[in-house]
Amino acid sequence: MNRRGKRLPFFLIVLCAGILAALPFVGVSYGIVWIFLLAVYFVLALSYDIVGGYMGYMNLGHSTFFGLGAYTAAITLNQGFHLASALVVAVLLTACFAAMVSYPLFRLRGAYFALATFGLISLVEVLTINLRDLTGGSGGISTPPGNHMVTAYYLILVVAGATMALSHFIARSKFGLALFSIREDEEVAQAFGVPTSLYKGLALIISSVPASLAGGIYVWNMTYISPPSVFGLEIALSPIVMAMLGGTGTMAGPLVGAIFITMVQEFLWTKVPYFHLAMYGLVLILLGLFLPGGLVRTRWIKPIVGWMGFGEEIDYFKKSETGKMGETP
Amino acid sequence: MTCFLECKGVSKTFGGIKALTNINLQIERNAITGIIGPNGAGKTTLFNIISGAMTPTEGEVLFMGKVTSRMGPARVCRLGIARTYQLVRPFNSLTAMENVLIGLGFGRSRPPSREDRSMEAMEILRFVGLGGKATHTAEDLTLVEKKHLEIARALATAPDLLLLDEVVSGLNPTEVLRTMDTILQIQARGITVIMIEHILKVVMKLCKKVVVLNYGVQIAEGVPEEVVSDPEVIQAYIGKFEDTGETSHA
Amino acid sequence: MSADFIQLLVGGVLLGGIYGLAAFGLSITFGVLNVLNLAHGEFLMLGALLSYGLFAALGINPFVAAVVVIPVFMVLGVGFYVILLKKISDKPPHQLLTASILVTLGASLFIEDVTSYFWDRPVTGISYSLPPLELAGVVISSTRLLILLFIFILAFAMQIYLRRTYVGKSIRAITQSREGAKVVGIPISRISAVAFSIGMALAASAGAFYVTLFTVTPTMGIPLTIKYLCVVVLGGLGSIVGSVLGGLILGVAETMTAYYCGAEWAPTIAFILLILILVVRPEGLFGAKK
Repeated sequence: MNRRGKRLPFFLIVLCAGILAALPFVGVSYGIVWIFLLAVYFVLALSYDIVGGYMGYMNLGHSTFFGLGAYTAAITLNQGFHLASALVVAVLLTACFAAMVSYPLFRLRGAYFALATFGLISLVEVLTINLRDLTGGSGGISTPPGNHMVTAYYLILVVAGATMALSHFIARSKFGLALFSIREDEEVAQAFGVPTSLYKGLALIISSVPASLAGGIYVWNMTYISPPSVFGLEIALSPIVMAMLGGTGTMAGPLVGAIFITMVQEFLWTKVPYFHLAMYGLVLILLGLFLPGGLVRTRWIKPIVGWMGFGEEIDYFKKSETGKMGETP
Repeated sequence: MTCFLECKGVSKTFGGIKALTNINLQIERNAITGIIGPNGAGKTTLFNIISGAMTPTEGEVLFMGKVTSRMGPARVCRLGIARTYQLVRPFNSLTAMENVLIGLGFGRSRPPSREDRSMEAMEILRFVGLGGKATHTAEDLTLVEKKHLEIARALATAPDLLLLDEVVSGLNPTEVLRTMDTILQIQARGITVIMIEHILKVVMKLCKKVVVLNYGVQIAEGVPEEVVSDPEVIQAYIGKFEDTGETSHA
Repeated sequence: MSADFIQLLVGGVLLGGIYGLAAFGLSITFGVLNVLNLAHGEFLMLGALLSYGLFAALGINPFVAAVVVIPVFMVLGVGFYVILLKKISDKPPHQLLTASILVTLGASLFIEDVTSYFWDRPVTGISYSLPPLELAGVVISSTRLLILLFIFILAFAMQIYLRRTYVGKSIRAITQSREGAKVVGIPISRISAVAFSIGMALAASAGAFYVTLFTVTPTMGIPLTIKYLCVVVLGGLGSIVGSVLGGLILGVAETMTAYYCGAEWAPTIAFILLILILVVRPEGLFGAKK
C-alpha cells in the first residue's frame, strides 16, 4: 500500500469517528440503537473473518463466543460486579473455552469443521438451557436495570475500532501471513516451519475476544437475554453472511457487508414479516453461486476500496486478472 | 565422522501396500545425489519421510547425527531440510515475495529481523530470476516461474539439504538448462542437494551419485554412468513397457 | 437385562439404522462431489413429511411410502444438483468449500423456512402397527423389526448397486479419482447428478421410516445434518461400513441418554461423541490413519 494512500483512509476514519461520536448529542436516539446493533454485528463479522477469511476455516459457530460472553457477563453483573470486571471475566472464560474446543475441532477440515462448529452453538445452547439454576434456563436472564444506551454506544464503537485495528495489524503481521499460508495450503505451510496447530488455536482464541466483549456489552445494555437471542440462527448467521457478502478474507469486506445487510434489513424486512430465514438462505445461495468472493471483489467496488487503501488480501478468489498490486511490507 | 544424511532400514507401509522396503542411504555432504526409478517406485514417499511429512513404518532417518524420523515437518525444516513438490504447490493467492517470506520467517532456526526480511527475500527472488515478479500473485506465474518460486521458498529457509522433486519436469530445454545452472549455483553455496529426476541427461550431468528405486526397493547405487548401464536398472525401466501384465502405480 | 432395556436397545438400533441410512447417502454425495451437503438433513425431514402426507391423505402405509418416496426424491435430487451444485462443482478446493457451504446452508435455511410456513405443527409418528412379536419372553414391536429389515435390505441393495452396475461403479470411480474418471470418459456431471439423487432418496426414505416412530418438525434439518456429521466422523470418513456402525452407535447412545438422563440432554450426545472421537481417534473407527 503506497504511502500516499495511507493518509486518505486515516482521514476518512477520523471523519467517520467524529460523526459517530457526535450523534448522541444531536439527539438521534433511534439512530443510536440502530448503530449499536450494527456495530455489534460488525464486530462479530470482523472477528469471524480472522479465522474464517484469513485462515480459511469457516467457524460457523462463532456466535458461541458471543453468547458465552453475554451469559458470563450477565451472571457476573448479577453478582454485583461492575461492567469492567464482568467484561474481563467474560473475555477470559470465553478465551479458555476457545482454547479447549480448538484442540478437537481443528482435527477437522473444510466443511466438516464448519458443520462441527455450527453444532457447537446448539451444544452450548442446550447446556445453557439445562443449567437452569445458573443461567435462568430457557426463560433467559436479566441484569441490573438502567439506561446505559449512550455509554454502551460509545463502548461498542471503541470495540469496533479496536477490532478493526486488530484485523489490520494481524493482516500485515508475520502471524497474519502464517494464517494466510494455512488457508492456502496447510500441509505445505507446516513443511516450511509454520506452527500450524499452535497458530490455529491462537487465531481462534484471538477471534473470541471481540465477540465475547460484544456479548458482554450487549447484555449490559439490553439488561435481558435469552438463549435464542444470543445462540439463535439470526445472530449466528448474520455476521457470517455480512463477512461473506462483503468479502471474506479482507478488512473492508465485513464492513461493506455489515452496512449492506443492515440496510437491507431495515428497508426490506420490516415490511415483510415472514420468510426472513428463507431470504437469508437465498442470499447465501446467490452468493455461493455467483459471488463467493463478496462485493468487495466485484468490478465496481474493488477499485474504490483499493483507492481508499484497503486493497490488501483481496486477491484470494481472483479469476486470474493481473491488476495493480501494492507493495508488500 | 557422522554421515550428513542417513536412512537406516527405512520402510513404509500404507495399509496393504509396501511403498518402501529397507532403504539404506548415505548422502554425502555438498554433493548432488540423484534418485531415479520408474513411476510408483516410492521416490516421493522417500522425500516425504526425509522431510518429516511422513513417519517411516520401520527404520529411521538421521540428519547430521540427529534422529529426525519422528520430528514432524516443521521441526525438520528448521533443522535445515527444505523441499519442492513434484506438482507445484505455491501459496497461490500470496505474492511471490510473500511465499518467500513464509520460508524466511518460519523455516529458519534463527529468523531474520523485520528490517532484513524484505531485503533478503528480494535477494533470493533475484537469485532464482524472479526479481521482477516479487509482487505478482503466485497463481499468475508460469510453470517454470512457479518451480523457481518453490526453489526460492525452500532456499529462504536457509537449508543445509535441499530436496528437489522433479523440478525440471514439464520445462522446455532452455528452461531445463537454466534450472540446472541454478542448481549448480545452489551447490556452490554449500547446500547439499538430492534430486528426484526422470530426465537422464540432467541426472548424468549434475549428479555425483545416483540411487535407483523400483517398487520401493533399492536396486542400484553408484556413479551415473555405471548405474545407467546396470542391467537390472535397464530391466526395471524397459521391463515396464514389454511386460503387458505390469501396471505402474501412480 | 430388563425388558425395558431391550426395548431401548431395539429403539436405539432402529434410530441408528435410520441415521446410518441417511449418512450413507451423505457420504456418497460427498465422495462424488467433494461437497458436504449441509442441506442433507432437510431431505430426511421432507421425506418424512411426504410420507406422512401420503398416509394421512391416502392411507398409504409407511413401507410403501418409503418406496414411493424414492423416485420422487431422485427427481428432486437431480433438480437440486442441476440448480445449485453443478455450477460450482469444478472450482478449486478452497473456493469450492466456501461456495458449497454458502449454497447448501442457504438451501437448508430456505427449505426450512418455507416448510415452517406451510406446516407449523410438529408431525407425530404415524400410528401404524402390526401385532407385536414375542421373543424370549420380551415383547418387541414387529413394526420396528420390519423397518429394521427394510433398512438393511435397502442398504444391501445399495451396496450391490454400487458394485455391479455401471453407474454404481462410475460413482466409486469418481470418488477415488475425479481426474482419472474424466480421462476414462465417465460423464462426471451426469453421474454426479445420479449420485446426488440417490443420496437424497436414501435420506428421504430414512425419513419415511423416521416418521413412524418419532416426531418430525420443520426445523429438525440442521441438527440432523450435524448428527450425520457425527456419524460419518465416528465411522471414519470414507467408510460405508463405518457410517452404518457410527449410526448404530449414535442411535443407541441417543436413546439411552434420553431415557436415563432426560430427553433434553439427548441432542448433546451427538456432539459429545463427536468431540470424544476427535480427541481419542480422529480418523474414526474404520477410517484410514494418515
